Amino acid sequence: MFCLSELEDTVRVPPSDLNLPLEVAIKKALQKLFLDKVLSIGLCVSIYGIKSIEGGFVLPGDGAATYKVVFRIVVFRPFVGEVIAAKFKESDSNGLRLTLGFFEDVYVPAPLIPTPNRCEPDPYNRNQMRWVWKYGDDEFIIDDSCQQIKFRVENISYPPVPTERAEDAKPFAPMVVTGTIDDDGLGPVSWWEACAPISDDED
Amino acid sequence: KERREEKEKLRIRFPSAMSGEEEENAAELKIGDEFLKAKCLMNCEVSLILEHKYEQLQQVSEDPMNQVSQVFEKSLQYVKRFSRYKNPDAVRQVREILSRHQLTEFELCVLGNLCPETAEEAVAMVPSLKTKGRAHSDEAIEKMLNDLSLVKRFE
Repeated sequence: MFCLSELEDTVRVPPSDLNLPLEVAIKKALQKLFLDKVLSIGLCVSIYGIKSIEGGFVLPGDGAATYKVVFRIVVFRPFVGEVIAAKFKESDSNGLRLTLGFFEDVYVPAPLIPTPNRCEPDPYNRNQMRWVWKYGDDEFIIDDSCQQIKFRVENISYPPVPTERAEDAKPFAPMVVTGTIDDDGLGPVSWWEACAPISDDED
Repeated sequence: KERREEKEKLRIRFPSAMSGEEEENAAELKIGDEFLKAKCLMNCEVSLILEHKYEQLQQVSEDPMNQVSQVFEKSLQYVKRFSRYKNPDAVRQVREILSRHQLTEFELCVLGNLCPETAEEAVAMVPSLKTKGRAHSDEAIEKMLNDLSLVKRFE
C-alpha cells in the first residue's frame, strides 16, 4: 500500500538552479534524488511537502549550496500478507507476472497458482505460455482479458545491484514481490463475481 | 542550535504542526486531522494527493507531463482506477468510519482499498480481524461495511 514517510536529508542545489525560488529548487533536487527509487521504506512515488529547510552553506570547492531538508514523501510499500489488486502482464512456464503500472515486478510462481492447472502455449501469442485453472467442469484462463487480479504478498526481496550485466539482460529490479493467487478471494476478480453467496445454514 | 531545539519542542507539543506549504495542501484537499497523523494511505487518499499535484503542475507550466515523471503518471493512473471513493468529503468519511472500529492503520487501508461487501470477504482479505485478541464479531464487521456503503461514492 502507499505510505507517507517523513525523512531528513542533505540536499545539494546546483549553481544552475540557484536563481529559482528556494522551495522550487529544493523540490527539484529532491525529485531527482528520490522519485522512482527504491529505498528501505519503499518505492518513492511523489514528494508530498517540505516541512523545513535549513542551511544554504556553500562548502569550499563546491559551487552548489547545501541544505538540510525535512520533508515527506509518498511511497509504495508492500506488506507481507497484504492483498493488492493488479493487472496481468505476461506469463511463462515459471508462472505469472503481474503489474501495477508504476511497479511491474510482481511474480506468482507456478506453485502459488491454484490447482489443478495446466500450462500451455498461448494460441494468441507465440512466445508466451498461458496458465489455465480447472475447477470442476470449468476452465479459467489467466491472461490479459482479466480486468483485475488480486494477489496476496508472500515475500518481498531486494536483490543487490549487479556489478556486471550482459547486454540483453532484463532491466534490474531493485524490489521483487512474490505473490499468491491460491486462496479465497484471490486471482482474477471475475472468478468470484460469478459465485453465488454462501448460505448461512453452514454454521 | 537553539532554534533547532525550539523547533523540536514545538514538534513534540504539536505533532500535527505543519509548515506553510503543507497547511495549504491540507486545506485545499479538505482532509481532516486524522489523515495528517496517519502513516498508511488508502488508494483514494493518494488519488487526491496526486491529482492535486498534477493540477498544481498544470497551473505552473504549459506542458505538465514533461515534468511529471513516468512513475507519478502511472501511480496516478493506478490509484484512480483502484479507488472507489472520488470526492474529498467521501474519502474523509471513509477514514472516519474505519477509524471508529479499532483497526490498525494497515487493516484500515486494506479494507478501504479492497471494499469487501460481506464480513466473510473482509476476513478473507484481512484475516487479522479475527485474531489478535480483538476478534471482531461478524455483526461488528457487517455494521462497519454497512456504514461504508452509505458513503456517497460519486458526486
